Amino acid sequence: MTPVEISIGKRPPSGPSEPVRRRAPWHLRANALVVAWLGLTVATALAGEGLPAPRWLLIHVFLLGAVTTAILIWSEHFTVVLLRAQTPDPRLGLTRLGLLNAATVAVLYGVAAGPATIAVGGAAVVVAVVLWHAVALVRLARRALPGRFSHVVAWYVCAAGALAAGGVLGGLLAAQAGGGVLHERTQAAHAEVNLFGWVGLTVLGTLFTLWPTVLRTRLSERTRRASAMGLRLTVPGLTLLTGGLLVDLRWVAAAGLVTYAAGTAAALVPLVEAVRARRPHTGAAWTLGAGVVWFEIALVVNAVIVVTRPTGEVAGALEPLLPLVLAGFVAQVLLGSLLHLLPAVLGGGPARFKENAATLERGWTVRLAAFNLGAPLLALPVPRPLTLLGWALVLASGAAFVVLAAVTLLRAATPATPGVRRPSPVLAGVTAGCLLTAAAVVVAVSGGSGPATTVVATGAKTVEVTLSGMRVRPSVIEAAPGTVLTLRVTNTDAQRHDLRLATGERTPLLAAGQSATLTLKPLGEAVDGWCTVAGHRAAGMTMRIVPTGTQPEAGTEHKEHGGMMSPLDLAAPMSPGWKPYDATLRPAPGGSEHAVEIRVDDRVVREVAPGVRQRVWTFNGTVPGPVLRGRVGDVFTVTFVNGGSMGHGIDFHAGATAPDGPMRTIQPGERLVYRFRADYAGAWLYHCSTMPMSQHIANGMYGAVIIDPPDLARADREYLLVSGELYLGEPGSDAQVVKLREGRPDGWMFNGTAAGYDHAPLEAKAGERVRIWAVAAGPNSGTALHVVGAPFDTVYEEGAYRLRADDPGGAQVLDLAPAQGGFAELVFPEPGTYPVVDHLMRNAEGGAHGLFRVGVR
Amino acid sequence: MTWWTVVRFAHVLSAALWVGGQLTVSLVLLPLARRLLDVERRGQVLRAVGRRFGMFTGAVFLPVQLGTGVALAWHKGVTWASLAEPGYGRILAAKLLLFCAVMVAAALHGWATGAKRPGLARTMAVTALVGSVGVVLLATALPAT
Repeated sequence: MTPVEISIGKRPPSGPSEPVRRRAPWHLRANALVVAWLGLTVATALAGEGLPAPRWLLIHVFLLGAVTTAILIWSEHFTVVLLRAQTPDPRLGLTRLGLLNAATVAVLYGVAAGPATIAVGGAAVVVAVVLWHAVALVRLARRALPGRFSHVVAWYVCAAGALAAGGVLGGLLAAQAGGGVLHERTQAAHAEVNLFGWVGLTVLGTLFTLWPTVLRTRLSERTRRASAMGLRLTVPGLTLLTGGLLVDLRWVAAAGLVTYAAGTAAALVPLVEAVRARRPHTGAAWTLGAGVVWFEIALVVNAVIVVTRPTGEVAGALEPLLPLVLAGFVAQVLLGSLLHLLPAVLGGGPARFKENAATLERGWTVRLAAFNLGAPLLALPVPRPLTLLGWALVLASGAAFVVLAAVTLLRAATPATPGVRRPSPVLAGVTAGCLLTAAAVVVAVSGGSGPATTVVATGAKTVEVTLSGMRVRPSVIEAAPGTVLTLRVTNTDAQRHDLRLATGERTPLLAAGQSATLTLKPLGEAVDGWCTVAGHRAAGMTMRIVPTGTQPEAGTEHKEHGGMMSPLDLAAPMSPGWKPYDATLRPAPGGSEHAVEIRVDDRVVREVAPGVRQRVWTFNGTVPGPVLRGRVGDVFTVTFVNGGSMGHGIDFHAGATAPDGPMRTIQPGERLVYRFRADYAGAWLYHCSTMPMSQHIANGMYGAVIIDPPDLARADREYLLVSGELYLGEPGSDAQVVKLREGRPDGWMFNGTAAGYDHAPLEAKAGERVRIWAVAAGPNSGTALHVVGAPFDTVYEEGAYRLRADDPGGAQVLDLAPAQGGFAELVFPEPGTYPVVDHLMRNAEGGAHGLFRVGVR
Repeated sequence: MTWWTVVRFAHVLSAALWVGGQLTVSLVLLPLARRLLDVERRGQVLRAVGRRFGMFTGAVFLPVQLGTGVALAWHKGVTWASLAEPGYGRILAAKLLLFCAVMVAAALHGWATGAKRPGLARTMAVTALVGSVGVVLLATALPAT
């Protein structure tokens, strides 16, 4: 094979005698699309926080809009030029472009604002268009004579395959198929296959011929071999990488990435040779070269991330890297290629060619320096002003290109006649006047209409907000107008979320377990909040802050926003790290004097139902509080400390004392000593004695005192279940109090968590005697405790046996009114799973439900 | 009917004369002059019309608009701070800014005519005209109470 001089694009027409011709008018139109998308990218970056999903939109306007359109145009163009194939029917190419752009708009709209189905449909069309494109390229190659450049087409086809895979993954993401860690892994795979497959493979394939042309040097003899080797490594590497990320095999993914990197190294060998032969000397060459260097850097950093992180965290770790990859690699390769190709494609004669080339390369050194100085600032952990400087440098450089490209495109659109055509002064005047008026109208209507409402701060309130399972909890926060709300936002989900309020406050993107605090301005009007991660708002991750007394009159709207009234998802998984309240009841300690300290903690956040964490008021940080156990006649000395944020008290039903002293309310920081002798056996309630008691009890301030009856027989296992109602929402908030007053709990709990023991079953063995103690804390409902499949042979209720083991009868329910207590005993007949429920079925289905997992003895 | 009605009447009438005058010149006088007069005559007539209109602007229109405008704003209780607030204040502020821009355009028109730059002069004249209509639009957008 002999070295060959090739020329794509930038070939100045040989002389003035050559007739002026337009090379391909549809290229002109199509590249205007790319330039328009680039302009839109700059606009998206500038609009930033004003958009519903800023990060996602920026990435996809650029990659799916500008880059994918450009790839579709140029890969077909190169195939035709390199294979000397017959120019295909331009209508088909234009149809594909039209479809692609319509689908892109659908995806952007569907994810950012509309229903997810639009986005999924758009993704499907994108995949179909790209596959069609690949088929078209293959047919072009088949029809062409076998040439030395046919290997390039293979790269384009493989790239299209990668986008098909990436597009399918994107569609799945948009449809929210699979939550949590799977979502994160899918996202990582989606990003990798699209960036390194669709963009990376296309770029590598194109550079084989584009790079020597840009450098005006000869094509290396090794090109063909390098290309074959590169493709043989990169494609399997990419497959392994994507598959490994998807199915959670970190080392497979890492091996894939290393293979891919080896492939790119092989492919870059002839390119490096070309640089050795001829130093880059044009703006296009330097820009392209810089792009390739950033590609390699990104590849190395990416490899480090994939090797050192579990696959579920790859997407999160890649996030900060993304601006660098997009700006440094993709944008620069795109800009460099356009710099080189646009003048040739636009045609218009040698004079016009030179004029266009000179226009596009104007100030390229400054632009290149600004861009490559700015790009690393986007990814490095530098202070915010520096990041903003980076954005300014990158965007200004990009915007300068867009303006210059638009100038050349406009020039191409107007006939190349000598003499300057001036726009008519009337048109110019009308335009200027309209622009001025429009600007004034924008100023006039900005900030809403009506007199300004300056809201005076009247108080402060802190609300715990959790993000989990595509929900923001609480979904409605009510506060008096003027309240300065502080939201402590915690992401308890396995995937990343954030919270953004319509008034502009926002948290950073929170990884699993991370928290952030938002402080709002004094509450005036209702404020909406949502998660800005693409698609999450549509999936229901919304909230609303409502000033009390300004409830919307239409009841329907209230219901719509009152998502918190929706039934709890009791089958949902508990948050990672959740530990159930230990229901095992330990025997009474020895001695007849017991000293206990009980400390109020009313700021603790606990998981009250699967995936639902909210603030509760507690004794010693748990719901129910600590269990006190002793024998008849024992003396309990309780040191009661108010470590909370408001007044609290304590009332032990088991003791006999005048309430005035020990049951009084004490203020935060105070303590009292409550001494009582347990004169009577039974399962007793204790609870906070501060009014309104309904709120203090409903929010978790209760516990049990167990005084063994004198003749208590031995049991193999003893458990204690304290039943209680669950009211979602900020403790003491108006919304919660209304539900409490109207007797509308959101759920029912055993030991402080609705359906907690469904997720952490209680253990027993067949044939063992199990004693289940129960206290009904209420505040308003009792319990009808029942174990499915195992009748009770002993029932002790409120100080007396109603049934003993040697009686012929049996019992099906331990029936307790609010504040009553007792126990029931049973022997599980055989191994199995036995539900323990409140047989008031509404309560059982609302969370008063648990399981006994009974094993073989 | 109070004296404030008279002030408001003067404000609106003066504005109508100015905007209406520009519209009449642009839409009625100019086309007719182009059709009926030769180049020299046309230049003469239009320069004279322009000068007269400029005089009217400086001697009558601006003093009346500024005087009545400030008085009306004072009567309405507008303060510098309230100009920034959304609603009446901000619409008024936008209207004033646009009015200033229109005055700049009108001044540029006068300068460009003198400096023999007919293209710029015409552009500025149309800018001022369209901007004036915009001022009227914003005036009608001011809340009535």
